[in-house]
Amino acid sequence: MLAYVARRLGYGVLVVLGVLLLLFVLFFAVAKPEDIARRALGEKARQEAIDIWIASHGYDRPLWPWQQPADNQLFDHYARMLTFDFGRSDTDDTPIARRLAEGVGPTLSLTVPLFLVGLVIALLFGLFVAFFRDTYIDATGVFLCVLGMSVSLLLYIIGGQFLIGKLLRWFPISGFDPAPVVVARFLALPVLVGLLGVVGGDVRFYRTVFVEETGRDYVRTARAKGAGEMRVMLRHVLRNSLIPVMTRVVLAIPFLFVGSLLLESFFGIPGLGTLTVDAIRNNDFATLRVMVFIGALAFIGGQIATDISYAFVDPRVRLE
Amino acid sequence: MSERARNIRARALARTLLPALLLAAACSNDPYPPGDAAHKIYYTVFREAHRTLDPAEAYNVSAHKVTGSVYDSLLEYHYLKRPYELGPGLARAVPEPQRLEDGRVRYRFEMRSGIGFGPDPCFELGGAGRRSREATSADVAFQLMRLADPALKVQVTDAFSAVQGFREFRERLILRRELDPAFAELPAHKQYAALGGMEGVRTPSRYELEITLARPYPQILYWFAMEFTTPVAWEAVQFYNGNEGRDRFADHPVGTGPFYVREYNKHLRLVLERNPHWYGLRHPDALGARYPERGAPGDAEGDLLGAAYRGRALPFLDRIEIRLEKESIPRFNKFLQGYYDASSIIKESFDQVIQADRLSPQMRQRGIRLARSVAPSVFYLGINMEDPVLGAPAGERGRKLRQALSLAVSSEPWIELFLNGRGVPAQTPLPPVIFGYNPDYRNPYRQQQDAKRSRARELLIEAGYPGGIDPDTGSPLRLSFDTYTLNSQQLLERQYFVDEWRKIGVDVRLQATTYNEFQAKVERLAYQIFFWGWSADYPDPENFLFLLTCDMRRSTAGGPNTSNFCDQRYEKLFAEMALRGNDAERQRLIGEMVKILEEERPWIELYHVVDYQLSHGWLHNVKPFGMSHPMYKYYDIEPERRAALRLSWNEPLTWPAYALAGLVLAALVPGVRTFLRERQ
Repeated sequence: MLAYVARRLGYGVLVVLGVLLLLFVLFFAVAKPEDIARRALGEKARQEAIDIWIASHGYDRPLWPWQQPADNQLFDHYARMLTFDFGRSDTDDTPIARRLAEGVGPTLSLTVPLFLVGLVIALLFGLFVAFFRDTYIDATGVFLCVLGMSVSLLLYIIGGQFLIGKLLRWFPISGFDPAPVVVARFLALPVLVGLLGVVGGDVRFYRTVFVEETGRDYVRTARAKGAGEMRVMLRHVLRNSLIPVMTRVVLAIPFLFVGSLLLESFFGIPGLGTLTVDAIRNNDFATLRVMVFIGALAFIGGQIATDISYAFVDPRVRLE
Repeated sequence: MSERARNIRARALARTLLPALLLAAACSNDPYPPGDAAHKIYYTVFREAHRTLDPAEAYNVSAHKVTGSVYDSLLEYHYLKRPYELGPGLARAVPEPQRLEDGRVRYRFEMRSGIGFGPDPCFELGGAGRRSREATSADVAFQLMRLADPALKVQVTDAFSAVQGFREFRERLILRRELDPAFAELPAHKQYAALGGMEGVRTPSRYELEITLARPYPQILYWFAMEFTTPVAWEAVQFYNGNEGRDRFADHPVGTGPFYVREYNKHLRLVLERNPHWYGLRHPDALGARYPERGAPGDAEGDLLGAAYRGRALPFLDRIEIRLEKESIPRFNKFLQGYYDASSIIKESFDQVIQADRLSPQMRQRGIRLARSVAPSVFYLGINMEDPVLGAPAGERGRKLRQALSLAVSSEPWIELFLNGRGVPAQTPLPPVIFGYNPDYRNPYRQQQDAKRSRARELLIEAGYPGGIDPDTGSPLRLSFDTYTLNSQQLLERQYFVDEWRKIGVDVRLQATTYNEFQAKVERLAYQIFFWGWSADYPDPENFLFLLTCDMRRSTAGGPNTSNFCDQRYEKLFAEMALRGNDAERQRLIGEMVKILEEERPWIELYHVVDYQLSHGWLHNVKPFGMSHPMYKYYDIEPERRAALRLSWNEPLTWPAYALAGLVLAALVPGVRTFLRERQ
């Protein structure tokens, strides 16, 4: 198993290096150092100030190693990321590590409830429609799920803010406050809206898994032995469907730390998703590369964790 | 039932009810903690994280909302009087210029005693346990030297270049830092002291500040009413250096203003509280320490000079909360719900708010008030006067062509279409709130009647382009309109002008680029027409008319005169006008300058912005100021009235939730029952 993990990690490193190279090429294909400097200093900044800023942030150096092997931006880019030296934001010189530490709390306070509640609802609803398969309940459930998947999250956000925040006045339209007495108010609407966006796909997936499982012999045997429907579904079907469930769940866990770009941005939650959106908007290369790097690490971590979790859930699986 | 069974049942009940109770507690759209409703807290917004709140660097309205409340200045404007009137702030009086024999000018400020910095741990650098100290003239001198420091991103260095030795100090600083690494590591105040300070800035005593200008520049006094010249504590700059987990000074303002920063998360909110060491508490008779007794005509009728406020000690608010709200629609909806106290009007809701040029009945019913004011700003189409076709090199042909272009475009329909009527058509660079504006003057090249289009065509003929045809090519004259935006809405706004010019036969092509590409074109002089604007730093005609002086030409000096207009007659009049006080002669000089601009047409003046400011009825003493100076210390709130109205406006509608639950149950139950029956 260790050899397997080591091999996957090796592949992971290659993927991360590739992602970082791609980001570097794409970013500097569209953004010039002057663009970054003007976003940081303001459009009316004088050329002298812009030149000083570019030099002080190292964007005046050659991009590629073949232009200047000893001191170039690509080498610096890799060196910083691979040593976890995240540096400071191009926009306002804030240490990026500090901004990550500030942002992870708000992000997790949104993504963890969204993930847990979404998981429970998707599993239960998946079991429910699987149990009533081929009835109008199943058909309606599947229709609602497809509808949920087909509508843009942006529409849910704007509609949710209008309907629930403005007309029904259940929760604040947007904003965030980490104070324990009010934090639930701010998270309720984004979680609700997020659920609409994610639950449909999950339910469809779990339903397929559960329907396949309920057709198996052991389920018929359990029923023949007099087991109740609740017991059959929750004890037997659910437990034996854990591998595909686990695949989806474990893969999603690392991304909880990356945040939701749309939900955080539109609801004004100062998490890592907002940090990424701001970095894109402000041509903040220093921050953007850190977020992409973390995203790549989360992806690799999720893949390896999923493989390892198979071995725990199903003793027949051997990682070689 | 046994005790154990009862306990189990109670626990099960609690487990079932707890989430419901939590959800019920969360079911309110009030974004503030419950206890805050009883306090005088003013709620407002910032639209993006501030890049800097350093008073030397901050140069936008959003940042000034904070810096203007945290940093006081030596002089300040009268809150109500218009035209704007400068008075003493931290200084005891507005200093008179003292003309020296060699042409230099000296100003001597006398500061008040007992001016205290807001509480902050940085003052421990000056002694254990200290949380504040008195601000002195040395703190203002320190800040003036910071303005010359190349390590800071100061955008107003030109304004202070009149101070004797300003540029030399900057150059000495650069040189010494390059040559002496140990010097460069010293705290800023020690570096400045080691260089002997700036020649034109002296502190004869603890409370006296002497500023010597190398040349007369009477407008310098306006800069002493801005945060750029506020007292700054060396302790704050040294302590908040961004190292060892401490903030940068740019993110941690420490000043002598009526409020100090109690909490700042630049991605969430900023909380200001009353500064217990504010000078106004020790000098209650100072101009800026009490509410004015008198104002401008109309203020008394407009609830601005009520007996409850006149002469009362400031500030009235306990706290100011500035929250990050990036999206305009949620921001405006929260204002309508009563969670923000004041707001501008967003384009999407303009028709809902304003009907027949006044507040809609729905808004009036809520007690919302509207304040309209013309901002000291101007937006215009500029023409590159160094262009061989349109500019000065084309001589009389170019002048006629510029006049034709000016006549062909109308401001009024544009203002209606794209600004919901929130603009005053501009006749000259000067907006109505600035001295020199003549309400009776009508620029013959900025009139909007259709008949003028035929005059524009005649001018084209006189310019040698009959019907817009260039005789050299035999095809329509082709010009470029360079725009530094790729935003589709803004491109549509620019396209309007292109269509207007096309009506007289001139083929103007829109060249959409990024800001940087536009700047590169400007550097190469490869541009002809552009859209630009200017908002005043201070209320003096000089701050508008200097934009067209030779010294400010973009092509030669890198200044804001992007039209590169340079006219010796205008130059002579400007030099005379800039040094005069506001009198009849100054008005005459401005009139002559305007005549030159009228004929030469380096600008096609478009409009002056009209600000529409909404505020709730519980917020008092709101008068739009126009320039970027927050006046929160004059605001007052009725918290009880606000709390009651918020409650009545925001009671949650719960029946749709029950109706939805009922509908789902009604849909499910028959199916479930049938299914189970069949299974059995």
